Amino acid sequence: MKELLEHIAYCIEYGKINIQSPFPPDMKGKKGADEYTKEALDAGVSPHKVLTEGLMVGMDKVGKKFRENKVFVPQVLMSAKAMNTAMEHLMPFFTSGDITPKGTFIIGTVFGDLHDIGKNLVAMMLKGNGWKVIDLGMDVAADKFLDTLHAHPDAVVGLSALLTTTMSNMQQIVERIREEKPSTLIAVGGAPVTKEFCDKIGADMYAPDPQGLLEELETAC
Amino acid sequence: MSENQETMTGKTRIQMAMRRKKTDRVPWVPFVGVHGGYLVDMPADDYLRDSNAIIAGVDKAIDLYQPDGIPVVFDLQVEAEALGCHLQWAKDNPPAVVSHPLADGIGIADLPELNPGSGRIPVCMEATSILRKKHPDIALYGLITGPFTLALHLAGTNIFMQMMESPDEAHTLMEYCHGISCNMASWYMEAGCDVIAVVDPMTSQIDPASFEMFVAPAVTKLFDMVRDRNKLSSFFVCGFAQQNVPAMAACKPNNVSIDENIPLSFVRETAEEHQISFGGNLKLTSVLSMGSTKEVEMHTLETLEEGGDTGFILAPGCDLVMETPIENLQAVTRVVSDPYHREFVKTLQAAPVIEEVQDLSERWQDDKVIIDVITLDASSCAPCQYMVEAMELASRPYGNKLQCNEFSIKNKEGLRMMKALGVKNVPVTVMDGEILFVSQIPPAREIEKAIQKKLAAKNLL
Ligand code: B12
Repeated sequence: MKELLEHIAYCIEYGKINIQSPFPPDMKGKKGADEYTKEALDAGVSPHKVLTEGLMVGMDKVGKKFRENKVFVPQVLMSAKAMNTAMEHLMPFFTSGDITPKGTFIIGTVFGDLHDIGKNLVAMMLKGNGWKVIDLGMDVAADKFLDTLHAHPDAVVGLSALLTTTMSNMQQIVERIREEKPSTLIAVGGAPVTKEFCDKIGADMYAPDPQGLLEELETAC
Repeated sequence: MSENQETMTGKTRIQMAMRRKKTDRVPWVPFVGVHGGYLVDMPADDYLRDSNAIIAGVDKAIDLYQPDGIPVVFDLQVEAEALGCHLQWAKDNPPAVVSHPLADGIGIADLPELNPGSGRIPVCMEATSILRKKHPDIALYGLITGPFTLALHLAGTNIFMQMMESPDEAHTLMEYCHGISCNMASWYMEAGCDVIAVVDPMTSQIDPASFEMFVAPAVTKLFDMVRDRNKLSSFFVCGFAQQNVPAMAACKPNNVSIDENIPLSFVRETAEEHQISFGGNLKLTSVLSMGSTKEVEMHTLETLEEGGDTGFILAPGCDLVMETPIENLQAVTRVVSDPYHREFVKTLQAAPVIEEVQDLSERWQDDKVIIDVITLDASSCAPCQYMVEAMELASRPYGNKLQCNEFSIKNKEGLRMMKALGVKNVPVTVMDGEILFVSQIPPAREIEKAIQKKLAAKNLL
């Protein structure tokens, strides 16, 4: 059973989705995250264990390698895809309450900004770490963040901006949230964003990468 | 200025540097994109659609920045637009691609055929041919959207997964994008470009193995084609692409250009290994756009020192921010083209910081005019020496009515005087506290005139 969890973590780390998937080339024809997750659940491993000791272990490794420039966007996207496939098997347990998410995270790229690759990676890593993620996409206005926040009052909000020109839009959104729901935890990120900027606009957390965000959330929540 | 400098044109300088041959100085290529619109007071969306505006913008940039080479159009959306991607236009940035036909169910075969009349291609080519005629001595860069960035425009971020899951399809798409690049490159060369610059920022997001598998074959063939036509090529990546720099160099462009995220020394070494030229990596935002002219000068000097004098081309890391202050770019020009000014910046950089401003009120006298020449030091800066000699010569006939001093900024006293007099350059002549001659040594007549005027003001004539 421990072996199954290790297989799951390995498949997530290397982005092996299922037996048909040709990637990575050296695992061609072998079982992937899809099959192993199903086997683990069939063998009676608790869904919580599959998530925390299988999927999350794998995602954590990818996150670290990405931070160290050992893997790049395509590899992370493959890992995320493998994880999503495995998650399908776990979904029923989330709805039944057998697994509870760590929290809800509302994420989006601020209005005026069309860069979403980084934001997507953050969303995937959070999902892979047991968060419920509501992804509002890119070019997102303050109102949309607020509407979603009203529907999920305890959620953490994450804002992404990749242009120096849209960093001011990030500031506007933070101000609006502070006016309407002051207690909300707000995380900000994106290549030009810094810790100083985060403090200046009154956001709560900044991280240079998804792994850093997870660490911040760990201490803040 | 040495004679050598006057005989070598910007274009030759670029051609020699790209072949790692000796040049009289490092060539400089400001990547003017929408900044050209700023120069002619036009928003980016109008500028990039109007060949006359582009010609005027580039003309102005050439006049202001005295570059050795310059791009005609810096917009990585031209090909994508011509192939059916929708653009979202902005006033202060190049447009952005917002729809990806291949992700919306359209096949490669259904994309419109690219020809010299498609989209804004005629605007680009018209601007090129006219600028070619107007500026025969400057290297014109024709900018091509790199095949991987074009693939992202056409297919959206699906391209990343496609490379892993269906590599054959990804190869087909890259092959198609390569064809588009070859067409664009040919049209630009026919219109008169000297250098084909392939700009592929998306490659910063992939690993070397993927780069070698999907990007290298396409761009290598493109660079071969450019070489066969006796033109030069450059491969730019804006963004953190350090992992791919050796693989980029192995594609055999004449030059690799990188941005501020990558240490220039790393690229210099890679370029040396591959015996190609390299360029970069002035900081776009923090220094060129937001820094003071003094910071720009220091940064330019550091970049020049790191780049060295073999095969190096000084350039910003990517296309200039639209509203980059003109004086900042002129500061780059000054440092790169004037060896004395470079020496001046270097001296100041090493000099102790003078905090307090000396009070000079006691210095000025009723019975004489005081001439101060601020120099680097007359022995290592020929113009400084000439200026000092010219002033001494001109003041001789007036005896004690004139007092002529030289202050070298190589010592503290000189630095203090420079600060107190508000001097920002060398050599400079100041008469009774008024800055009169900067850098250029004026003809004797003018010196005479200035002296007479100052003496007359004190009734000493
Ligand atoms: C891909 C890209 C594009 C693609 C975007 C495709 C897409 N679907 O996202 C396209 C081609 C559309 C594009 C368009 C433009 N781009 Co662009 N683009 C890039 C590029 C090459 C990579 C960005 C990227 O995806 N990085 C990879 C991801 C993984 O990194 P990331 O986004 O930083 O995210 C990480 C962290 O920041 C963090 N993070 C991100 N979000 C969040 C959120 C939170 C809460 C936290 C905690 C952390 C976090 O985690 C992520 C993973 O580690 C960069 C240059 C470069 N090489 O970096 C330019 C760049 C960002 N673009 C730039 C520009 C100017 C533009 C355009 C204006 C002009 C143009 N046409 O080129 C348009 C603007 C469109 C718009 N209105 O937004 C400039 C921005 C300059 C500036 N600082 O203002 C850059 C830096 C290029 C340059 N040097 O000029 N671009």
